[in-house]
Amino acid sequence: MRRLLAIALVALAFPAAASAHATLESTTPHFGREVQKTPGQIRLHFDQQVKILPGAIKVLNGVGHNFAGASQAEGTDVVASVRPLKLGAYTVRWQAISADSHVVSGVWTFGVRVPAPSVNDAYGAGGPTHTEHLVRWLWFLGIALTIGALGLRLIVLRGLEVPRELDRKIAVAAGLGAVIALQSGIAAFSLRAEDALQLPFGKFLYGDLSPMAATRFGTAFVTMTLGFALVLALVYLAWLLDRVTLLVPAFALSLLFAGGLSVSGHDAVDPGSSWKTELADWVHISAASLWIGALATMAGLLWFGAPQLRREAFQRFSRMATVLIVLVLSAGIYLSIVRLPHLHDLWTQGYGQVLLVKIGLVCVALAWGAFHHFVVLPALDRADTGFLTRIGRSLIGESLVGIAVLLVAAILVDSRPPAKPIGNSNTSTLTGGSAATLGP
Amino acid sequence: MLPHAEMVHWAFAAGILLVGLCLLCEAVVGEEVWHMRPWRKYLWPGLAFGLGVLLWPVMAFFTNSSIHMYAHGSWAEVLMLAGGAELGLVHGRLRSPLWRLTWPLAFVVTGTAFIVHEQNPWFFARSAFLHHLLGWTFVVAAIFPLLLVWRPRSAVLQACFALTIVTVSVMLFSDRDVAPIFGHLSPLAGAPHR
Repeated sequence: MRRLLAIALVALAFPAAASAHATLESTTPHFGREVQKTPGQIRLHFDQQVKILPGAIKVLNGVGHNFAGASQAEGTDVVASVRPLKLGAYTVRWQAISADSHVVSGVWTFGVRVPAPSVNDAYGAGGPTHTEHLVRWLWFLGIALTIGALGLRLIVLRGLEVPRELDRKIAVAAGLGAVIALQSGIAAFSLRAEDALQLPFGKFLYGDLSPMAATRFGTAFVTMTLGFALVLALVYLAWLLDRVTLLVPAFALSLLFAGGLSVSGHDAVDPGSSWKTELADWVHISAASLWIGALATMAGLLWFGAPQLRREAFQRFSRMATVLIVLVLSAGIYLSIVRLPHLHDLWTQGYGQVLLVKIGLVCVALAWGAFHHFVVLPALDRADTGFLTRIGRSLIGESLVGIAVLLVAAILVDSRPPAKPIGNSNTSTLTGGSAATLGP
Repeated sequence: MLPHAEMVHWAFAAGILLVGLCLLCEAVVGEEVWHMRPWRKYLWPGLAFGLGVLLWPVMAFFTNSSIHMYAHGSWAEVLMLAGGAELGLVHGRLRSPLWRLTWPLAFVVTGTAFIVHEQNPWFFARSAFLHHLLGWTFVVAAIFPLLLVWRPRSAVLQACFALTIVTVSVMLFSDRDVAPIFGHLSPLAGAPHR
C-alpha cells in the first residue's frame, strides 16, 4: 500500500495544463527577439487549427502604424506578410478563433536592430495604474506579515515557553500573509497582462499570457507563487503537527522569494543595475519586511495575547530591529546613490519625490523606534500595566507607519528612476516617449 | 517544455481516484476499522491537501489563457482548504465539525469553475460535454458532504461522497479527445483537440 502510494505521488509530481482552447506554441520572430532585418512574414504556430479574423495580426511601431499585410491560415499556422521595417521596436498583436469557438488573443514584441522591449511596454500599454500600486502594496503586506510572523516566532521567541494559543495565532498570521501574497500576486500579474493585452474583460479571459510569463515580472510571479504556496503548506503542517522546526524552511523560503519583488522591479533592468544592486534590493526588502512584519505581529498578537512574554520579547525584538535597520539603511543608501545620478533628482524627478516621501516616513518610523529603544526599553522593568498597555498602542502606531512605508515602496518599485547619462544607451521607445524596459 | 494538456487530467484523475477509493474503503469497513492503523486516517485528507499544493504549479506555469489560470488557482485553494481542514479534524487540532463545510464549499467552487471556464454548449464536443457534466456533478453532489456534516456516521452518505469522487476521476480520465480510451468519438464533433 505504501509503495503504491509512493508511485502515485511520483506520478502526480508531473503536472500539465488543461486547455481546450488553441494554444500558441511558437512565433516567428520569437518573443522578445532582436532581428537584424525585416522579417518577411509573421508566423504564429498553434497546437490546433484556428480560423482567422480580419486583421488577425498587426505589427505596430512606436506610434501605432500597422505594417502587417493580410493574414491567412496555413494548417495550424497563421501567417501575415510584413512591409519593410525601419530600425526600432515593434509590437505584434494577434487574435484567432480556436476550434472551440473562443477568440484567443495575444501580444508580443520584437526589435529590428535594437533590443526588444518588455511586453509590458508594448505599444498601447499605459503603464502601472493606482490599482496596480494598491495590489503591489497588498503583495508587500502579505510578504511582510509572513516573514514577520515567522521571524517573531523563530528569532524573537526562540527558546521561550510560548503559549499554544499564541503559536496558533502566529501560524494563522503567517498563513494569512502567504494567502494575501498569493492572491495579490495573481491580481498583480492579471493587471499587468491586461494592460499589455489591451483587451476588454470578456476577451482578456481568453488572452494568451505566455509572453507576460516570460518577462521578469512573470518569472517573479511564477516563482513567488510556487514559493508562497509551499510556505503556506509548511506553516499549516507546522501548526497541525506542532513542529516549530517546519517553520524554519518556511521562513527561509519566504525570505528567499521576497526577492522576487526586486527582480520584477525596475532596479533589475535599468541601466546601472548589476548583481550588487539586485542583492542590495533583496536585503533591503527582506530586512524591511522582517522589521515591519515582526513589529506588527508583536504589537497585534503578542502584546495583548501573551503579557508574560512582553518584556523579554520587546528586548529581543529591539536587538533584532537594530541589526535590521542597519541593513535597511545601508542597502537603501547604496541603491539611492546608484539610481539617482544627481542629488537634485530627489526633488526634480518623480522617482526622487516618491523616494523623499519614503525617506520621510522611514525617519518617522526610526524616531519612533529610537524612542522605544532608548526610552521605553530601560523603563520596562519598572513599568506597570497601564504603561505597558500604552506601549502596546505605541507599537501599533509604529507598525502603521511601517505599513505606510510599504505603500510608498510599492509605488517606488513601479516607478522608473531617472535615466543615467551613459554613452551607449540601448533604450528603445514605445510608449509615450518613456524609455522601454530592456532584457528578457 | 510543458507536458500536454491531457497528461495533467490523467495525473490528477489518478490522485482523485486514490482519494475516492480510500473514501470508499472507509465507507465500506467503517471508521473504526479504517483508523486501526493510525497513518490511514491521514491518507485521503493528506492526498487531497497534496493535490491542492500540486495544482499551484499548474496555475503558475500554464498561462495560455487567463480563465484557466483562475480556474486552476481556485481549485488549488479549495482543495488545500478542504484537505487541510480534514487533516486538522482527524489529527484533533480542529474540533468543530463545521470545518467539514469546507467540502461542500470546495465542491460548489470547483463545479462552478468547471462550468464557467467551459463556455461551449453541452454537445459541442466530448470535452465540452464532460466539462459540463463534471461541473454539474460537483454542484449537485455537494449535498453529500453537506449532509455528512450533520450525519457523519451515515454509511450511505459516505458511500455517495466516495462514489462521486470516483466518478469525477473517471470523467477526468476520459474528457480529452486524445484519450487512449473513449478516443475521438465522431468527426461530426470537429477535429480532435485537447
